[in-house]
Amino acid sequence: MNEKKIIEPKGVDVANGEENVQAKKIVQLIDVAKSFDGEIILDHINLDVYEKEFITLLGPSGCGKTTTLRIIAGFVTPDTGDVLFEDARINDLPPHKRHVNTVFQKYALFPHLNVYENIAFALRLKKVSEEEIYERVEEMLAMVNLRGFEKKDVNLLSGGQQQRVAIARALINKPKVLLLDEPLGALDLKLRKDMQNELKNIQRKTGITFVYVTHDQEEALSMSDTVVVMADGKIQQIGTPTDIYNEPQNAFVADFIGESNIIDGVMLDDYKVRFSGHEFDCLDKGFGRNEAVDVVVRPEDVDVVPLDKGMLNGVVTSVTFKGVHYEIIVSIKDFKWMIQSTDYVEVGQNIGVYVEPDAIHIMKKSEYSNMFGDYSSFSDELEHLSDATEEEE
Amino acid sequence: MTKKKLSFRTLCIILTFVFLYMPIGVLVLYSFNAGDSTAVFKGFSFKWYIELFNDTATLNALKNTLVLAILSSVISTIIGTAAAYGISKMKNKYIKNATMSATQIPMINPEIVTGISMMLLFVFVAKLINSTSFLGFWTVLIAHITFNLPYVILLVLPKFKEMDKSLPEAALDLGCTPLQSFFKVELPAIMPGIVAGFIMAFTLSIDDFVISYFTTGSGFETLPIRIYSMTKKRVTPDMYALSTLIFITILVLLLISNLADNKNKIELSKKTKKVLKIVGGSVFGTIGIATIIILCISATTEVKTVNVYNWGEYISDGGDDTLDVNKEFEKWAEEYYKSQGKKVRVQVNYTTYASNEDLYAKIANGAGGYDIIIPSDYMLEKMKEEGHLQPLDSSKIPNLKYLDTQFENMFVYERTETGENGEKTTINDRYGVPYTYGVVGIVYNGAELLENAPEILAHIESGNAGWEVMFGIPKRDANGNFVYDSEGKMILDMDDPENKKFNESYLKLKGQVLQFNNPRDAFGAAMYYLDVDVNNPTQEDWRAVYGLLAMQKNYVGGYVMDEIYNKMENGAAWLAAYYAGDCLSMMGENSDLDFFYPVNEEGYHQTNIFADAMCIPAKADENNLELAYMYINFMMEEEIASANAEYIYYACPYTHVINSDDYKINMGYYEYLYSNDGEILEDDEGNYRLKLDANGNPIYDPEGDYAVIYYDFKTPKVDDPNTPEIDFMLPIDYMFERYMYKDLTNVMLTLNDGTEISQLNMLNHKWEQLKVQSTSMIGIYITCGIIAILIVGFIVYSIIIKRKRRKLYWNNTPTPKAKKREDADPDLSDTTLVAIGKAKKREK
Amino acid sequence: MTKKNNILKQAAAYPHIVWAIIFIIAPLLFVAYYAFTDTDEAGKVHFSLANITSLAQATYLEVFLRSVCFAFLATVICFVIAYPVAYFISRTSPKVQKILVMLVMLPQWLNFLIRTYSWMAILEDTGIINSILGLVGLELHMINTPGAVILGMVYNFLPYMIIPIHSAMTKIDPRVLEAASDLGCNPLGVVTKVVFPLSLSGVISGITMVFVPSISTFYISQKLGGGNFDLIGDSIERQFQTQYDYNMGAAMSFVLMLLIIASMAVMNKYSDDEGGVIV
Repeated sequence: MNEKKIIEPKGVDVANGEENVQAKKIVQLIDVAKSFDGEIILDHINLDVYEKEFITLLGPSGCGKTTTLRIIAGFVTPDTGDVLFEDARINDLPPHKRHVNTVFQKYALFPHLNVYENIAFALRLKKVSEEEIYERVEEMLAMVNLRGFEKKDVNLLSGGQQQRVAIARALINKPKVLLLDEPLGALDLKLRKDMQNELKNIQRKTGITFVYVTHDQEEALSMSDTVVVMADGKIQQIGTPTDIYNEPQNAFVADFIGESNIIDGVMLDDYKVRFSGHEFDCLDKGFGRNEAVDVVVRPEDVDVVPLDKGMLNGVVTSVTFKGVHYEIIVSIKDFKWMIQSTDYVEVGQNIGVYVEPDAIHIMKKSEYSNMFGDYSSFSDELEHLSDATEEEE
Repeated sequence: MTKKKLSFRTLCIILTFVFLYMPIGVLVLYSFNAGDSTAVFKGFSFKWYIELFNDTATLNALKNTLVLAILSSVISTIIGTAAAYGISKMKNKYIKNATMSATQIPMINPEIVTGISMMLLFVFVAKLINSTSFLGFWTVLIAHITFNLPYVILLVLPKFKEMDKSLPEAALDLGCTPLQSFFKVELPAIMPGIVAGFIMAFTLSIDDFVISYFTTGSGFETLPIRIYSMTKKRVTPDMYALSTLIFITILVLLLISNLADNKNKIELSKKTKKVLKIVGGSVFGTIGIATIIILCISATTEVKTVNVYNWGEYISDGGDDTLDVNKEFEKWAEEYYKSQGKKVRVQVNYTTYASNEDLYAKIANGAGGYDIIIPSDYMLEKMKEEGHLQPLDSSKIPNLKYLDTQFENMFVYERTETGENGEKTTINDRYGVPYTYGVVGIVYNGAELLENAPEILAHIESGNAGWEVMFGIPKRDANGNFVYDSEGKMILDMDDPENKKFNESYLKLKGQVLQFNNPRDAFGAAMYYLDVDVNNPTQEDWRAVYGLLAMQKNYVGGYVMDEIYNKMENGAAWLAAYYAGDCLSMMGENSDLDFFYPVNEEGYHQTNIFADAMCIPAKADENNLELAYMYINFMMEEEIASANAEYIYYACPYTHVINSDDYKINMGYYEYLYSNDGEILEDDEGNYRLKLDANGNPIYDPEGDYAVIYYDFKTPKVDDPNTPEIDFMLPIDYMFERYMYKDLTNVMLTLNDGTEISQLNMLNHKWEQLKVQSTSMIGIYITCGIIAILIVGFIVYSIIIKRKRRKLYWNNTPTPKAKKREDADPDLSDTTLVAIGKAKKREK
Repeated sequence: MTKKNNILKQAAAYPHIVWAIIFIIAPLLFVAYYAFTDTDEAGKVHFSLANITSLAQATYLEVFLRSVCFAFLATVICFVIAYPVAYFISRTSPKVQKILVMLVMLPQWLNFLIRTYSWMAILEDTGIINSILGLVGLELHMINTPGAVILGMVYNFLPYMIIPIHSAMTKIDPRVLEAASDLGCNPLGVVTKVVFPLSLSGVISGITMVFVPSISTFYISQKLGGGNFDLIGDSIERQFQTQYDYNMGAAMSFVLMLLIIASMAVMNKYSDDEGGVIV
């Protein structure tokens, strides 16, 4: 991933002032707001999409990510704000006039056309010659590994095949931006992994800007150049996957991206934080003295150590075997920590935990504080997950 | 831009709804008409609504329609749901397909074919079991179930297919028996389909006319049939009132259901459920109790019925403050039985038909169950000849003494009986008791004629006008023979200056003349004009009358029956031949209208006279005979007959009625021509005579506005050249002799080639020829052709394009799994395969 | 066990099958029987093609041609009106759709004889339309013209075109339409290239439901055509109710039936059957 960053330098890290002159903004949303029936879907968001980047809008259902996508595609007109495409305002440009194509959630293939005709659809509209259509469709089919499927009825294809047709259909127009609305949502796990790779390859090969919507954080992290975390119609954080994972800006992001223990803490001083009744060294600075903060500790960064070596001590309340590691819930000062460890411990056992300074990430308090990060019960978490898998309108 | 599009959308939808609701608006409007017309609005009133609730026959028809709709939709829903279930479980493809195809037949078959096919079956069965009352409620019910079934099945079947297969399995797994599983799990899952099917079936059943029309028999009349049977008279505004009420009811129901849907569902649905339970419970309770009461009553009292089959709108039915004759009869007869010490409930089962031919079709089909029918003269004769009627026992009809002398021998047929000893006695059998009679006249719109064709009006007013005003004057050659064109039509005479003048005026009436839409009267008119014997024309005569009518077809506005009312009343047509009584009704609605009886060149009336008579069919139920005779006799009571005459506006053949002044005034035999200050409103050329009292002063009408006079019908000079006493009644003997239609079934016509054909067949044949004869519709054909070519062209074009597009990729890459048969593209039709095969060969 | 069970379940369809044989198949056999027989003077029934062949007369051919033409035009007009309306209705919110669909069906609950009768008052030379046109000095002769008959057909059968098309349209995934416009289709293109092919099954049901009753109607032509334009339905009705020539009437019905089945077959052949289509 680091490699890629070198190949395609971008100006995402605005905060770091590393803006690259070469990266052009292709889509800009400026102060865009949208509400349906009085319900705010998008709350004045600003977003820049750069050329050739793979940007992912990530968030739970109802966070506004699909609406954002549809605003770019032109299916939804924002109530306020501007949508710029290559610096031109396109708020009122109907979808068919935009140089943007979409891969729909359930592919939305034309059921009355076969594979070839589905892919050729956009070219036919442009009155391209049959020979050229043939060439380009075949090219696309080769790209998505569907050669020989031309005559097939799209309704008889498997989900993965339909997905490929949908991608080929959207790409044949050579759009400047490809919008993908949870394209892998309906596939099973194995197929999904394959398709993730394939999508990434396609994006690399074609150099087209991908705007990708998903609620699956793993997908987002593994594919994107830039991840936009959204919640409640607002953008919570924009950053590279590593940034997002390692330096979440608030409790929501920390919780949504991977597993996290989010504990109330107090910043004693620069590089010093106190939580769970213990003082820790950390790498963060710039907070006010004694400022209340959220402390994020990723489960895999916590080491299980013998009782006497632990910075904190607690009782194991549950152990679950997860294959690569055990998932251990430890009760420390009434706060349930999740620890991922390859060492087996027994329920009821008293253990010590050890946290390295670089494993601690300090966040400012936000509206999401105290909402996430406690593993005292899984029910909330489950509910949250089931929410996320629901279809998004 | 979006706003503009939106308004176009809305406009489209609004215009469509305007189109769909325009006639309903008109219907609602005229249901409040103070006048009798459905075409001329005379002010606002509720009278038709009041009338509606007094019109027992209509309400009865409504009840029948609803009962039929409910029963047929319930039964077809049950059978259909079961069938859909069975079909969904079928594994054998052929049986399944065969079943589905058979199911769909009534959907794609034209209604009329379904109707007649079932009629043929029922008639056959009726003959087989020798039943006389086979056609009726049950046959209509069967027919309705039959055409409802496919819709139910097609709406329910998909629900079975959509249903999760594991659903019944889950139910079985949880301990349901298969039956329980069906009722508790599968049934609720397919309920939306069932409900949709039921509603569809109900709608279709309630609206059906054609199939009911062909399959119904005695005593069962649905609303659509009743409306259709008004074709001779007119569709009365109370039908509009009824439709308005139905419309409003449905609208309200829909609104309520819609509101209920939109409101807080759980709360309201509970509430509505409760309400529904209460309402449903009370409705069913009432029905149950009513049934029990009726059963109890019918158990204790004897019920006698008489089945009367009459023309539509041909009896005083209690509307508009008139007498409800049938109800009166029921009352009277019950009283009568009471006086005899019997407790009897009397019921008149009254249904209606639109034409003699309809009546005959039913009777000849073997539909019994009618106790009294009222055919016209010629039909009576035909039915009698064919044995469909029974001779009447005159002793059971004491009121026959009131029959006017002119009618005494009408419908009485001689029969010689050979006694045991070989002596011959002549017996006179009466087959019918005249009910009404009338004459065909020509009604015209004086104001329009004055404006557009004053010559014609002048001609009519001269009193010497005959049928030529309906037909124009055809051209004759030097020998006085008619000239025909290549299609056998006559040609208007434009050579003779006088005829030319007349015909030119006549042409101004083009499209404004209405002709009868039945063969008897249409050909009759032509025959009277050409002075042909209506009851036995020669082949040459037929050629001439056909030629005349065919010529007229170019000028008539339409062949009409009841529509004539609206068209004449609102001035849409100016000239029409119709039955005199109906002409009088029209004149009551539009003061511009007037009418006359066509006369021939000598000045004699020369037009059809008809009489309708009450008869008892041969197959009438013997148990009802007593009541049938009582009914006939009752119809001849003065009060009843007057009420009928007043209602129908046809002449009454009973002396006690004829002689009452009320009747004369009402029937227009008096005309009010003088205002009470003695001013003459219309010039008196001797055609009218003032009615004077003993002192020689004019008699005024009851309101005292006008003096009354006798209306003078021209008397035949042959009979009495001096025309002494002018009676108010038509001296109709000679008309009965000459101008009444006879049964033509057995009157044979010898054609020039020596073959024989019955006159009736000839009439029907000529009528058929006239009706199907082309009117110029070239424009329509061309439009049709162009559109068809465009559509076909478009289809061919798109097929070519499709093929062309496919050519590039269709054959080059085999589908990976193409070896398997089932993977063949379903899109690939046989023709395409063939085409591809050919293409392949060519490539080689 | 399961097999037996299944046969038992299939038995649920038997009442219907028996019903169909007695009341659908058998009556049609009667039609065929009457169509191919004649009764001679002596009342003996014998096989005869006379009825069928006599339909080949120019006059009857014209009746058939006229009926086909009228029904065809009525169907085309119905389609032209119904398609956009169905489309526009399907673009409204579900609540509004429900109401609009109800309103489309509502007139069908009133007897069609009455509604047709009511049209006369509108179309007459002195009727409502002409009264309105009269205000601007125009006059349009409508009643008793072929146009009036076609209008009557369109009016009576329009809902049967709108409803199936609309229901086919509501089954289209809205995303597919978005996909089309996303791929560069203008709104009109979306309708012609995507909505139309996908609603074809509805269109075909609609065409069937308009064409069949139009071609066989007999009341509309009498009332609005002034009896000037005899259609097959009129002829058949007359054979049974006035002329009592059952054989001739059956022959006409038989031919009409064949005509309709043939046109259905042709139509289904050339439309890529999306399923749910009749026949």
